[in-house]
Amino acid sequence: MRLHAGICGSFPRPPELRRAFDDLSEGRISEGEFGRILANSIRDVVKLQERAGMSIVTSGLLSWHDLFRPFTMRLEGLEAGRLIRFFDNNFYYRCPTITGKIRWRGPITLEEIQEVRGAARGLVKAIIPGPFTFLKLSENRFYASEDELLDDLIEALRAEVGALKSSADLIQVDEPSLVDPELGRSERLRGVDIVNEFLSKLDVPGDEVIVATYFNLDPERYAMILDLQAGLHVDLKSTPAEADQALKEHGFDGPILSLGIIDSRSIYPIDPREVVYHVKTYLDYISPDILVFSTSSWLDYIPYNEAVRRLDALGRVLAEAEVRFI
Amino acid sequence: MSYKLPDKLRTTVVGSYPYFPEALKAFQLRRRGDRGLEYESLVREATRKAIMDYLEAGIDILADGEQRREDMAVFFAEELEGFEISEPVRIFDNVYFRKPVIVGKITWRREILVDDWRYASSLTAGRPMKVTITGPYTMYSWSFDKFYGDMRRAILDMAEAFRREIEALVKAGATFIQIDEPALSTRAEKRDVLIAGEAFEIMLGGLSNVKRITHICYGRMERLFPEILDFPIDQYDFETKNRNYELLDVLKEYSFDKELALGVIDVHTSRIETVEEIMDGIAKGLELLPPEKLYVKPDCGLKRLKRETALAKLRNMVEAARRAREELA
Repeated sequence: MRLHAGICGSFPRPPELRRAFDDLSEGRISEGEFGRILANSIRDVVKLQERAGMSIVTSGLLSWHDLFRPFTMRLEGLEAGRLIRFFDNNFYYRCPTITGKIRWRGPITLEEIQEVRGAARGLVKAIIPGPFTFLKLSENRFYASEDELLDDLIEALRAEVGALKSSADLIQVDEPSLVDPELGRSERLRGVDIVNEFLSKLDVPGDEVIVATYFNLDPERYAMILDLQAGLHVDLKSTPAEADQALKEHGFDGPILSLGIIDSRSIYPIDPREVVYHVKTYLDYISPDILVFSTSSWLDYIPYNEAVRRLDALGRVLAEAEVRFI
Repeated sequence: MSYKLPDKLRTTVVGSYPYFPEALKAFQLRRRGDRGLEYESLVREATRKAIMDYLEAGIDILADGEQRREDMAVFFAEELEGFEISEPVRIFDNVYFRKPVIVGKITWRREILVDDWRYASSLTAGRPMKVTITGPYTMYSWSFDKFYGDMRRAILDMAEAFRREIEALVKAGATFIQIDEPALSTRAEKRDVLIAGEAFEIMLGGLSNVKRITHICYGRMERLFPEILDFPIDQYDFETKNRNYELLDVLKEYSFDKELALGVIDVHTSRIETVEEIMDGIAKGLELLPPEKLYVKPDCGLKRLKRETALAKLRNMVEAARRAREELA
């Protein structure tokens, strides 16, 4: 079993980038100047991850306003709609509003992944929203048939993965809706089918794709998402007792398992040794080829300075695990 | 000066009112750590203007408009022992806010609201002045916890601290105490509702000659039942207009018979509800409760609206309550 560490998705925007967003919207800087600040910030965040010991890095999704925004802005047929609470977080996304036929017009996030590639020494992970969560959290004002909508959405997301695969070592497909407690069993099963259909169309090996679920894991939901034909990221901190039970009841023997063991919504201090001790209790139940230590979900829910501390803790977890697991 | 409250369909507000320029200037001073005479004078002037608007609209039971509070959680966190304030956290797009951080045992260290309540009460022309407090469950939910690592312990300590404040307020003469718990309906897990219930017992249990109110809004409110009905609460203040009064069906299901402050104004739209539309809402409430137990008010605080809009909405609300009373007579 190989060990890795990497954040689940986003990293909070550094202060200078926050200011740059405001400056851009107020017309105080040009698009070009903003682009330079964004690229610098991405490189800085990549270096921050690597210095902390991450072997898998992301762009921090620094330009993303939410999980969907780059896609709602750059796919044909979509607009950014009203603000909606993102699950139970005090964080809001603009509802992707489908107003026309969905079409991929060209690479959406490739530029930022190339920026990461240029700055990173380790593995590069690209992130896209998954088709099921996209469907559940968007508003359809165009398609008469949901199947037709899904066909187009899946094709658009597939095309994006196609553009990313030469620059990214791993593709993470974010699907928090798969473990949404509000869903019934049949809808969740349908979600798994939709994601599997999407995965089957990707020209990427199964051990290079991770489906990320976060918030609300429990044994029943976990058993269902084990049918996904890809690696898996699970959040062990949102519902810790239920998630613990899930892993111990159902195990894991797929290619990649990413464990969200650093709570990305809390700033409560972490003892890396305790974390490693806890993960060790899973080793009788799980046997992935690659085990990734990760944050439970995106890090946008905490301030930048606290995210830096959490990143450091995650690095120390990997270092400790490399000693204790081997 | 005394004011005779109507015995039916009393009108009230949830708490906040659009910020006056004086309040915005006061926030700037507060952020710089300046809470001197100018700051106090600005807050008082903003409060006076908010109360004058409430009076002009004809509200029966007032609040002070929360002109001192830039944020309903940060305000209390700055006053209680055990909190710091975080670096900015993103809430959407590139919009950030600061959150309280619990860094030590939460305790009460000084009176927080008593002076403001006394001042506000002096301006009401005899009408009751309600006190609004951000509840401990919401305070915890909207804070980071670096100290307890245990939601229940933190919430109960906060409840103890607020009990001290409430006792000080009651001693000063406050008779309407409202605990705002908007976060309670966000997750609405049973375990959380039970913890909130313990906190309410600590804060309000055994109080006499006080109207004990809780305001809850925007979320899965139906999941708070039936446990919430066991809280030591005399009046439940709910957001109902925004979701077309669907919550009333839930209340019927549980044979709700306490006082209900019914939200009849949507605070997230600038459209001014007509008097007739508001009367329709009141009529829906009257299908559940007698008019003596039904209070009429906006869904939530008004601070996100423009002042002119808020005032126009309140005027229509008061007029609708008046006409509804006439019809009942």
